[in-house]
Amino acid sequence: MLPLSSHPAHPPGECPLLQVQNLTKVYPSGTVALKDVSFDVDDREFLVVIGLSGSGKSTLLRCINRLIEPTSGRVLWDGQDITAAAPAELRSIRRQIGMVFQQFNLVRRSSVLTNVLSGRLGYANPWLSLIGLWPPTERERAMRALERVGIADKVNERADALSGGQQQRVGVARALMQEPRLLLADEPIASLDPVLAHSILQYLEQLNKKDGITVICSLHFLDLVHRYATRVIGLKDGIKVFEGLPQEIDRKRFKEVYGEEAQEVRAASLEAA
Amino acid sequence: MKPTPPARRSRLVAVILSTIIPGLGQGWLGEWPRALGVFLATVTALGATLWYGKPGWLVIPAALWVWNVFDCLRLPRGAPLWLATLLWLGMAYGIGWQATEINPRAFIENSERARSVFRPMLEPDFFRLRTEVRQGWVEVEVPCSSAPPRAEHTVEAVTVRVSPDCASLNEALIVTVEGLWPNEPTQVFWSTPIGDIKLVGGQYNAMLLVTSDEAGKITALVRVPPSAQDAMPDPTLPLKHRVYVEQERKIGGIEISRNGGYILQGIYETLALALLTTTLGAVLALPLSFPAARNLMSGHAVTFFIYLVIRTILNILRSIEALIMAIIFVVIVGLGPFAGMLALTVHTVAALAKLYSEVVEGIDPGPIEAVRATGATWLQVVRFAVIPQIVPLFTALTIYRWDINVRMSTIIGFVGGGGIGYFLWQWLVLNDYRAVSSCFIAIAVVVLTLDTFSARVRERLG
Repeated sequence: MLPLSSHPAHPPGECPLLQVQNLTKVYPSGTVALKDVSFDVDDREFLVVIGLSGSGKSTLLRCINRLIEPTSGRVLWDGQDITAAAPAELRSIRRQIGMVFQQFNLVRRSSVLTNVLSGRLGYANPWLSLIGLWPPTERERAMRALERVGIADKVNERADALSGGQQQRVGVARALMQEPRLLLADEPIASLDPVLAHSILQYLEQLNKKDGITVICSLHFLDLVHRYATRVIGLKDGIKVFEGLPQEIDRKRFKEVYGEEAQEVRAASLEAA
Repeated sequence: MKPTPPARRSRLVAVILSTIIPGLGQGWLGEWPRALGVFLATVTALGATLWYGKPGWLVIPAALWVWNVFDCLRLPRGAPLWLATLLWLGMAYGIGWQATEINPRAFIENSERARSVFRPMLEPDFFRLRTEVRQGWVEVEVPCSSAPPRAEHTVEAVTVRVSPDCASLNEALIVTVEGLWPNEPTQVFWSTPIGDIKLVGGQYNAMLLVTSDEAGKITALVRVPPSAQDAMPDPTLPLKHRVYVEQERKIGGIEISRNGGYILQGIYETLALALLTTTLGAVLALPLSFPAARNLMSGHAVTFFIYLVIRTILNILRSIEALIMAIIFVVIVGLGPFAGMLALTVHTVAALAKLYSEVVEGIDPGPIEAVRATGATWLQVVRFAVIPQIVPLFTALTIYRWDINVRMSTIIGFVGGGGIGYFLWQWLVLNDYRAVSSCFIAIAVVVLTLDTFSARVRERLG
């Protein structure tokens, strides 16, 4: 484990893993989802983004791998400008960035194996993959990923036959297939009950600590933030209102980010613990 | 808003006015909508009574008339509306009864006809006992030429000899046959040069039946049927007629009858027609379904316009019954299976494109974004996130459509579209109700089987 500080200092001449600079997103409807957001992410951090729904968390995560095109600002990956990357370049960056979603985003009718293998598409031979041919090494890799999240026995079941917690583990396994350096987790536990929520976050923590995968995760519950985050960013109405260590967020700060709903969220998080 | 307050007008005058013309009094008292309703109800009831010339029905307009006077008397509350409505509805029901020529007595009066239709249906003509046939024939000149050829002919083992070698109408001929099965009834009949079968038993009105002897021989006296030269342009011209002998005996077991064979052929044609139209329709509907999907097309004014145009055309095409479309295509391409095929295909395209587009509209964007996030190419995204979502539903819908098309092509056959419907129509015209009932059974079996099959598949895919 690396020592982490609230404002990570990196050796001079070496750039952080991810730099977000003045990121702004205005939707065609006129909604300003992100306004001039800047922050850096260092290797092996577990960065948690907090904020109300609609505060821009999901937009922020999707602007990083350009699932959503930012209106202005830059995102630098290892010094390389993602926002200016050509399609082929963008794909090779994307495959290094795994993503886990609130709604799991599995293909419900496909098997667990197919869903997991689809995480490998960025590496696969484009033509062989189109006819559904995967080399045995990739199948083994998929099995290992499923073993890692403890559902290797479900490999041939249809994704929608699984429970919510199992589906999210398939989602994590799919992201693992990318051998990612960065994992974006967009509210990964918001659709799960509290017990399952912990188990999923423990998998993420394990990936972060054991495999050294940097994690950016959006979360709701304060105690979970304290438990898992190495650093926290707070968003409110698309503006970054907080950046610091999890210990620095007390109830007062939390209320600043969450506004009047803070109490309610707090209560829910206590239940979860 | 009324021109004059009704209270200041005399009720007596109103009642007198209503008695003369229904509704007039109500109008005079300012109740114009009511007046119009009363007037129309009474007039239509009276009109219908006169039109159908049923004096008994006069009760209804009369009752409405009385109701109208009573109504006028009790304004502004008026007489109960439901009573007038009920009276008028009774009238309308009578008109409907008359217009659709409902006649329940027809069932009883024509019970004989009903029986002749339904009884044969109890013994469908699909299978028959297996038989084998032994047949022989010989050519005979009618009338005689100067040098008639010898009237002797052998088919396989059966030798038929007729003497003399030629004859004129009504003249007697001796027919001797060898090589038949022994002790079996043998049919003897006449066939004219144009293939008309003439009976030679009785007064030329029954089949001549002769039983063969121990050695498989028969000898029979046959007179040339007087109608043998009907429709011959020149009765003096010697032509070759034939005398046939035929034995048929049961050999055990059952086989598919002649009509049963036609039914199988018809079912096969119908299934093939339905399969062809469904696959063709599906192929054509596939590219149409994407521009017909709202979620894909609503982004831009131009694409949305295209969406509207395609949707409108599809809706119009779908609203035209396939049978009517088949009739239109019969006018264009002529009678035959092709017209039916075109009609079914067009209908299938319209229906499937709409159903497909609804599948595309219901697609979950989540997996698409997830697969994009892995660094997949556009084609890979389509292959791994779009196709798995739509293919099972597309397949299920297509099979369901095949099921529908089998049923539809049965009907299409009625207008010459081929298949089982064509045979059914012919047998109906020929009053062959045994074959008709076999058709019904065959269609029911096929439709039920397909229905079960498609339900199973849809269940598994859905």
